[in-house]
Amino acid sequence: MQSTKLLGRPRKNRRRRTQIIVASILSLLAFIGLFPYLFMLVTSLKTNPQFYHSYLYPVLPFHFGNYVAAWNELEPYFVTSAVVAISTIVGSIILGSGAAFVFARFDFFGRTFLFVLIAILLAVPSVTTLIPLFLFMRDLGLLNTRLVLILPYIAGSTILTVVIMRTFVEQLPAELFEASQLDGAGGFRMYWNMMLPLSLPIIGTVTLLSIVGVWNDYFWPLLTITQNNLRTVPVGLTYFQGQNSTAYGPLFAGYTIASVPLLVFFTLLSKWLLTGIEGGLPT
Amino acid sequence: MVKSDLTYPDQRVVTDQTKANLQPRRKRRTHRHTWLLYVVLLPVFGLLALTNYYPAFSGIYHSFFHWQPGYSSPFAGLSHLKDMLADSLWWQSFVHIGEIFVWGVTLGWIFPLLAAELIITLTSRRLQFIFRTLLIIPFAFPLVVRLLIWDFLYDPNNGLINKVLHDVGLGFLAQNWLGNPHTALLSLLFINFPWIASLPFLIFLAGLQNIPAAIFEAAALDGAGRIRRFWSIDLPILGRQFKLLFVLAIIEVLQYGVASQILTGGGPNYATNVPVLEAINAAFNEDRWGYGATLGSVLFLLILLLSAITLSVRRRKPNEKDLASAVN
Repeated sequence: MQSTKLLGRPRKNRRRRTQIIVASILSLLAFIGLFPYLFMLVTSLKTNPQFYHSYLYPVLPFHFGNYVAAWNELEPYFVTSAVVAISTIVGSIILGSGAAFVFARFDFFGRTFLFVLIAILLAVPSVTTLIPLFLFMRDLGLLNTRLVLILPYIAGSTILTVVIMRTFVEQLPAELFEASQLDGAGGFRMYWNMMLPLSLPIIGTVTLLSIVGVWNDYFWPLLTITQNNLRTVPVGLTYFQGQNSTAYGPLFAGYTIASVPLLVFFTLLSKWLLTGIEGGLPT
Repeated sequence: MVKSDLTYPDQRVVTDQTKANLQPRRKRRTHRHTWLLYVVLLPVFGLLALTNYYPAFSGIYHSFFHWQPGYSSPFAGLSHLKDMLADSLWWQSFVHIGEIFVWGVTLGWIFPLLAAELIITLTSRRLQFIFRTLLIIPFAFPLVVRLLIWDFLYDPNNGLINKVLHDVGLGFLAQNWLGNPHTALLSLLFINFPWIASLPFLIFLAGLQNIPAAIFEAAALDGAGRIRRFWSIDLPILGRQFKLLFVLAIIEVLQYGVASQILTGGGPNYATNVPVLEAINAAFNEDRWGYGATLGSVLFLLILLLSAITLSVRRRKPNEKDLASAVN
C-alpha cells in the first residue's frame, strides 16, 4: 500500500484495473455458485406451462400456491426434524457442558483417561456403528420412533460439546473461578453463573453444528424410520421428490422451504463458527 | 485483584498468600465432592455406552461371526475378511473413492484457494466481506437440497445442462449424465461446482487473512510480485491448513455415500458404487449382517491408519528460511 504512494500515478491506475478485474472474476465465481439456487427460487414460483415456456427467466404471475402445496406435504417432516433438533441441542448442551466443566476445572482420578475415552469417539465413523446400532435399536423396539434418532444425535453432539467446550473453559483465566470460589460460590454456582454465560460462543457453535447434523444426516433416518409421517426433512425430501418429480413449481418450492431453517441459523450463528475457524485450528 | 498487583507491589504478597490459601481449600472441596463429579459424568458415559461403545464393539466382535440377528450366530473366523479380499465390487468401490479423493484435494482445493487469494487481493474490506458472504452462501443449504438440485440439473429431458447445450448448438453433447456409466462418476464430482462454498475456502481465507501485513509489505518492498508472494509466502504458511484438510478429506471420502445413494444409487452398473453403500447393501439388502459389520469395521481401521500416517509425516515449518527466501 505504501509502495503505491512512492511509485506514483501509473501504478495507481494499474492497481485500480487489477481491483476491477479481481472483483469481476469473484462476481463470476459467486454467480456460478449461486446460480442453481437462484434457478430454484425462480422456478418455485412457476406453473409447469410457465416453466416449459420460459425455462430460465421469471414470469408473471407468480404462483405462491406452490409453496402451500409443498408445505402441506413437508409439514410432518418438519415437525420430526424440529423435535429431534431441539431435543438434540438441549440434551447435548446439558450433558456436554456439565461434563466439560468437570473435565476442565477439577482434578479427579481417571480424568485424562475418561476424557480420551470420549474424544476417541470422534474418530469412529458412523458407518462402523450404523449396522450394530440398527440391530440394537431394533431389539429395543425403537425403530419408527423419534427416540431412535434423538439418542444417537444427542450422543454425537455431546462428544463434540465436551471436546470443544473443555478446551475453551480451560483457556479461561483460573483467577475468575478462584475469585468466585473465594466469594463462596459452589461448583454448581460456578457452572451456572460463570461457565455457561462465558461459553456462549461455544454454545452457539455447538447449536449450529447440531442443527446442521440433524438437517444433513441421511442414512440413519433412512434406515430406522419407514413410517412416512415420522421421516426427517432430508429423507422426506427425497420421498417428496419421487412424488413430484415433474411438478417443478411445487418441487422447487419444497426445496426452498426445506432450506429456510438452515439458512436462518447460519445467518444467526455463523459468527461464532467463523470466529472458531479464524481463531485457530488444532494442529 | 490484578490491578492491585500492578499498583501496590507489596500487596502481591497478600495476593499470593490468598492464592496459597486457596489451593488446599480447593483441593479439599473437590476431594469431598469427588463422587459428585462422577455423578455428572455418569449420564454422558451411559448414553455413549448405549449408542457408541457397545455398537462399535458389537460390530467388531460380530465381524467374526455369521451374524443372524435374533438367532444364534455361528463362528465365522476370518471368512468375512477373506470374502472381502476376494470381493471385486469392494475393490472397485475403492477405486471410485480414490478418484473422488484425488479430485477433492486438487480441483476441490484450487478453486477455494484461488477465490481466497482473490479476496485478500481486494483492498476494500467491505468488498472482501461481501464476496466472502456471496461465495459461502451455498454452504448454508442442506446437503440433500444441494444434491436434489444437481440431480435436476443433470436430468436428461428437462435438466439445465442439456437444455443449455441444446440452446448453444452443442446438442450432440447432451446425454443422460447420471445414467451413463462413463459420465456418472464425473457428474457426481461436478456437484457444487466451483466447490468454493466449502470448509477449505473458509480455512484458506482465514489462514491468509491472519498473515501479518508487515510480511507482505516487506516482500513488496523487496520486489516480490503477487505470483512470487503466492508461491513463497502464502503456500508455505498454509502448510498446517493443508495437512488438516488432508486428514479431513481422508475421513470424509471413506464415508462418502449420500450423493451416490440419492443421485445414482451406486449405479449404473456399479459405476458410482462406494464402500459405505457396499456395507449397507450387504447388511440391509443381502442380510449378510456379519459381512456388513466387517466392512464397517475395516473402514474404521482405515480411517485410523491413514489419519495416523498423515499426522505423523513431519511437516516442514514455514520458518525464517522460507520467509527469507521469499524476500530475497
